[in-house]
Amino acid sequence: MVKVGIPRALLYYQYYPMWRRFFEGLGAEVIVSPPTTQATLASGSSRVVADTCLPVKVSCGHVLALTDKCDCIFIPALRSIKKKIYNCSKFLGLPDMTRAVIPECPPILDIDIDINKGKRRLYQAIYKLGRHFSWNPLEIRKAALAAWQAHQEYKELMVNQGLTPPRAIASISGEETTPTSPDKAAIALVGHPYLLYDELINHRLIHRLEQAGYRVLTPEMLTAQELETAITRLTGRPYWTYEEEVVGSGGHYLESGVAGVIGVVAFGCGPDSLMMDMVQRQAIKLGTTPFMSLTLEEHTAEAGVVTRLEAFLDMIQRKKRKQADICV
Amino acid sequence: MTFPHMGNIWVGVKAMANKLNVDLVVPPPTSQRTLSLGAKYSPEMACLPFKLTLGNMIEALELGADTIATVGQYGPCRFGYYHKVQEEILRELGYKFYMVKESLGIMNMVKYLTNGAPLPEIISGFRFGLAKLEALDEVEKVVYKVRAIERDKGSATRIYKDAIKAIDSAEDYKALKRAEQEHLQKLTGLPTISSPDPLKIGVIGEFFILIDPFANMDIEIELGKLGVEVRHPQSIREWIRFNPLLITLKLREKDKSIRAAKPYISSHIGGDGRQSVGEKVLHASDWDGLIHIQPFGCLPEIMARNIMPSTREKLPVLDVIFDELTAKAGMLNRLEAFVDIIQKKKRDKICA
Repeated sequence: MVKVGIPRALLYYQYYPMWRRFFEGLGAEVIVSPPTTQATLASGSSRVVADTCLPVKVSCGHVLALTDKCDCIFIPALRSIKKKIYNCSKFLGLPDMTRAVIPECPPILDIDIDINKGKRRLYQAIYKLGRHFSWNPLEIRKAALAAWQAHQEYKELMVNQGLTPPRAIASISGEETTPTSPDKAAIALVGHPYLLYDELINHRLIHRLEQAGYRVLTPEMLTAQELETAITRLTGRPYWTYEEEVVGSGGHYLESGVAGVIGVVAFGCGPDSLMMDMVQRQAIKLGTTPFMSLTLEEHTAEAGVVTRLEAFLDMIQRKKRKQADICV
Repeated sequence: MTFPHMGNIWVGVKAMANKLNVDLVVPPPTSQRTLSLGAKYSPEMACLPFKLTLGNMIEALELGADTIATVGQYGPCRFGYYHKVQEEILRELGYKFYMVKESLGIMNMVKYLTNGAPLPEIISGFRFGLAKLEALDEVEKVVYKVRAIERDKGSATRIYKDAIKAIDSAEDYKALKRAEQEHLQKLTGLPTISSPDPLKIGVIGEFFILIDPFANMDIEIELGKLGVEVRHPQSIREWIRFNPLLITLKLREKDKSIRAAKPYISSHIGGDGRQSVGEKVLHASDWDGLIHIQPFGCLPEIMARNIMPSTREKLPVLDVIFDELTAKAGMLNRLEAFVDIIQKKKRDKICA
């Protein structure tokens, strides 16, 4: 059986169930790299130039962790998933870059997804990917449809039950998940999934917030409709593929009555440097919901993150007390 | 009306505006103040071109401009997103202006800016502006060659500055041609050093930094002083010359470098990243070195830098990264060291 390696980085959190269903449907075995560790990060950053952004370094580390464990590695180049909206350079060149910086890497399965080129090209791309495993176009079609189905179920799980992607993946795999009680005060996290759910690089942010007694809301829990309205309100026509994760969810949560919003960005992230700025400006303009921006990089110390988080939560508490006092 | 600076583009824009009777405010030349203003109000991690263009806009608004023309285009580089954030920042600073942006559609944009001038007039104005830029480019090309071998360092740069002024003040095609010829002659007539065999170093990278002498701290002049002939494949000319034949046949310099990069970058990654890799592949045999310049945090160029070392075609590359804190002395040191190494390599090759 062919072993397909999937790095637990970047797009993994958005599309893993879909990919797994596709490859398993074609009779391949899927191997996911283990969760990020300090060693993953260190090995990844040793390969690329210093100012490459954190998530790409992590991704290289995961590819390195997979090199001798599988026959090929799946690294898609997602150019555009909506008309005239492009992804960031890092995603476009990811397969090429990985090949260049990790020469010992097993063959890379790349698939070019670009909606601008039309549906036909998309189907061709999927077929080309499937051809590595099967000669039968019908079988590839079946696997692709099943994969799409899996993706829809995955998304529904997150929107309807308010699960975070790692929990939704666990629940699909049959593990027990404890639903969070909706009566707790909520803190919204805004940012790309590869920052929010990688426990090493964000120093277990979600866990810490839940320990402090908050319910955590993330961009994946919003419907496409909600995200789109928020983007249109804030910046007009979306420009980047994952703008909705930042501007959309940020804009939505700032006006949804949550206790606070935390914007998580990676140092050196080009799109976020401008998008998170728009969210921050909106937060200042509204002046109702507390907002904190948290920049992550490979040297971010845990203590620093914890201190800032505590200060932010204290501030929210104080605000609540003050409001209660006024009512009395 | 005003627009942000980008190298010598203002000469062309000014010519167009004059022809079309548009009241144009050319922002003051980019200076340290521009940069400080821009950096102060920009998001911390935005790249240098963002900060500089924002600074230009502020300085132009101070001079009373009320309309800002920007270029925004959909693509993977941050560039196309600039105007959204910049508009927001300027409004927060309390300026009142109208921003002409791409979302209006190109025809509406032109119509608005020219107060509805008839189309033939617009086209002729446009052509004259482009002609000026081409003339400048022509002079610039010779300047690169002469700078490396002139006997009295700095004279070519002086003539170049005169040429910009002369071309800027040219009223019609005839005067333009005369200004161009005159300065070209002056340049070729400069006394040169006795045995000229200058190093040829390509300067490539992010377009804005490449063509804006303030942003790149006159890297070309400095290289000239070190006796290096600068090769500059991505000139303004490439950018503005609409030659439909060359475009459809894919014969422009740009297309050549993109083809050369094909084995390493299969498709568009935004900005000029693909060309940067392509230039290295293309010119590995006829250049002595490459200087890859870029603003700090530039997405496409970081990708290019990651990919470049793995090409089979070998060529020494120096990365120079600019941001608002880059010190000129640091850059000069690195340039000198790089040129020394290449010079030694070249000597060794000849001796062997």
